Amino acid sequence: MPSRTPLPRPMHRLDYTKLTEAQIGAALAPVIKSGPAHASPLSDEFVGQTLKIVTDKALTLDYRFTSNSQLTVSENGAKAVAAGYGALTQDDICFFTHLIPGTLRGYAVVIDKPTRRTTVFEVWFGGFTDKREVMREIYVGYVEKAGAEAPKDRHVTTNRAEGKGWYWKQDNGWETIDYWSTIAYTHWVELSRKSEMGFSAPADYLQINEDYYIYTRTECEFSGSFTIYVADLNRAEQVGMRLGFDWGDALDYYVFRGKGEWLGQIAQFEKLGDVAGGALTPNPNSTGQAGSAAAPTAKGARAVYRPARTMERLSKEEVAAVKTSVFAGRLGAGNGTGGMGLHALPAQAFLVGKSFTLRYDSGLVMDYKVSKTDELQWRKNGGAWTTAIYQAFEPAPGVILFGHLLEGEPNRDGHSIVVDFDAGLVTCFNGYLNGPYIANEAQARTLFGVVEMEGINTPLYKRHQRTWDLVGRAITWNYSPTVSSMHLYSTPSTTSWIIFTAAGAGGLEWSGPGDFVKIRDELYFAYWLEEACNGTLGTIVINMRTMHDAGIGYHCGKNGGLSMSTVGALGRHAGKFDVKRFFDSSRKA
Amino acid sequence: MSEESKSTRRSFLKGGAIVVAPLATIGVPAAAALAGDGDRDKLARLQDEKAIRDLHASWLRQVNSGNYAAAARLYADDKASCALAGIASVAADQDAEGLEFARDGKHASATYAAHIEVETAIAPDHTLAQMLHAQGEGMVRTSEQRMLKADYVRTPDGGWAIAKLDFQRA
Repeated sequence: MPSRTPLPRPMHRLDYTKLTEAQIGAALAPVIKSGPAHASPLSDEFVGQTLKIVTDKALTLDYRFTSNSQLTVSENGAKAVAAGYGALTQDDICFFTHLIPGTLRGYAVVIDKPTRRTTVFEVWFGGFTDKREVMREIYVGYVEKAGAEAPKDRHVTTNRAEGKGWYWKQDNGWETIDYWSTIAYTHWVELSRKSEMGFSAPADYLQINEDYYIYTRTECEFSGSFTIYVADLNRAEQVGMRLGFDWGDALDYYVFRGKGEWLGQIAQFEKLGDVAGGALTPNPNSTGQAGSAAAPTAKGARAVYRPARTMERLSKEEVAAVKTSVFAGRLGAGNGTGGMGLHALPAQAFLVGKSFTLRYDSGLVMDYKVSKTDELQWRKNGGAWTTAIYQAFEPAPGVILFGHLLEGEPNRDGHSIVVDFDAGLVTCFNGYLNGPYIANEAQARTLFGVVEMEGINTPLYKRHQRTWDLVGRAITWNYSPTVSSMHLYSTPSTTSWIIFTAAGAGGLEWSGPGDFVKIRDELYFAYWLEEACNGTLGTIVINMRTMHDAGIGYHCGKNGGLSMSTVGALGRHAGKFDVKRFFDSSRKA
Repeated sequence: MSEESKSTRRSFLKGGAIVVAPLATIGVPAAAALAGDGDRDKLARLQDEKAIRDLHASWLRQVNSGNYAAAARLYADDKASCALAGIASVAADQDAEGLEFARDGKHASATYAAHIEVETAIAPDHTLAQMLHAQGEGMVRTSEQRMLKADYVRTPDGGWAIAKLDFQRA
């Protein structure tokens, strides 16, 4: 059963044990015999029956169910073997799972009794570089019935699940929010562990009928665990199974029932009438796709984004040595947000001729003298003046976003700053390097403060505030004709980003820490932080009235060095999930 | 679809396909380009012009349909196909600006105005690009005006093959 102990570090910071096949096999041996754990009573739906499942990929499974926890199974006519199993039913849907003795494999089977249509998920360990990552292959088919024709239709992959959000509470007490964000990925939040962040993983979505859908999630780049359930969309009920090793290497193999809530539906961007779905096929030539099952036709193949193992990593010495590139070009290669500035707002001369002080509550005092549209002088805490390249944008009248590097700072800081010159308030996302995990990975702190300048009535008490206004929202961002994404602000501390396919469907998805500050009504300063994933800090001012953002990227890599770059995109509001209430600290699980 | 209707086609095909208007007429009057004397030479030259016109049209048909294997059979050697590397699509909206024959009678060249789309991979150094590439996408297209310079060589059987294609900056 799942551990509800909060993780010692966020999921993307854990060092998952490289389990060997022998270790995995030893852990599986007892549950192969006993079957999965369960909190609810197992179904006796199949007891005393035999069942033959025929699939379109020529896999046949012959079952004999000797009790509600023991069966024999023959794969493709081979000698039958005995194994433990667990079954749960949900009206007309029967779900059961078992493992195969002497192997690292098993099955999860979904049968729609009235139609006999069946989907079999073969699951196995050892198929990827990390042996602990569960692989899956999907077989659609049917239950053979003597004297009856095979059903013509099958369960189908579809985009009709795309864009839905669910709260689930399993019978074992485990609570999650599952965003069915794309046709091939999912984003989930472990409420039971009080997780501040949500995470993204490859998923499958198959439609059984108008009411029932099959969902799977493989936590690639994390524990590698596999979750599958059948969801009754109208009743918000689920039956399913989890298989895998948790962060402490304890084996989870259990079936569950759950009840939940529908949390909303965001927009889809495929053409009307397009209901195509299915896992994305891997591009073997792409970064991170070269592992096993990368060939599009390989068993278990699908596109998986694997930033944790593809991120370029620099030492502190290398970070200290890299050159800088500040607003070198909106399409400049190697600047961490290259290609993300084509739709940027024009740079503004608003600051030219102004001298002002940004006094932050942290104690930091930054003085500025601005002489040109791209050059300013700054000094920190009354120190020496330093000349820096900057750019400024005006995402709303009187609100200026500007950014510059702090040359000479030991952690090579960069400031992305929003100043409301009408209100006299400032918020700074202070990017810096040499964090505790990866030296060239940007870290961020949020600084609140005030502006001191002639003509400004500097507030004593008022400050910009963090906001949950964006929590649950999804906004598409079109950076250039060929580069778009959709942000999903899934928790008060998470920005998730979704890549569209050529057909306009949501495709791959990833996520990182986020922070969100309200500047004015419908005007927000937000960041996404690509921790363990390229290391970029992306900062944007989101204007919900114009649906245009203005942004600044901060990145350190071998190719582009330490860079600050322009970000800008045209937005579309894709909708909002009703999730804020789940993140209230007073909420009881 | 007729060759003429293809010649006005401006749509771009994805994945390296090429759309090019076929040669409608040879810009240089045949008689003026004649190097030999007598009716037999004139006839031979007119036949060569027609052969090259047909060759160019055939090449257009094959690349229009994405049949690069068939297009390759029109090349004298593999080098000619290299000119297409990185070019996602081409639209030629004018006739050949010239067709010239070498004095040896074994080589010819023609120039065509062309509008091409160059497909460049977004550098995979930021997250969106990496994810696009993982999805099999992540290419940026830019349009450019070019001159297509085509060199032809006579084949042993007396026909013509494409010896070289060069998309020169206009």
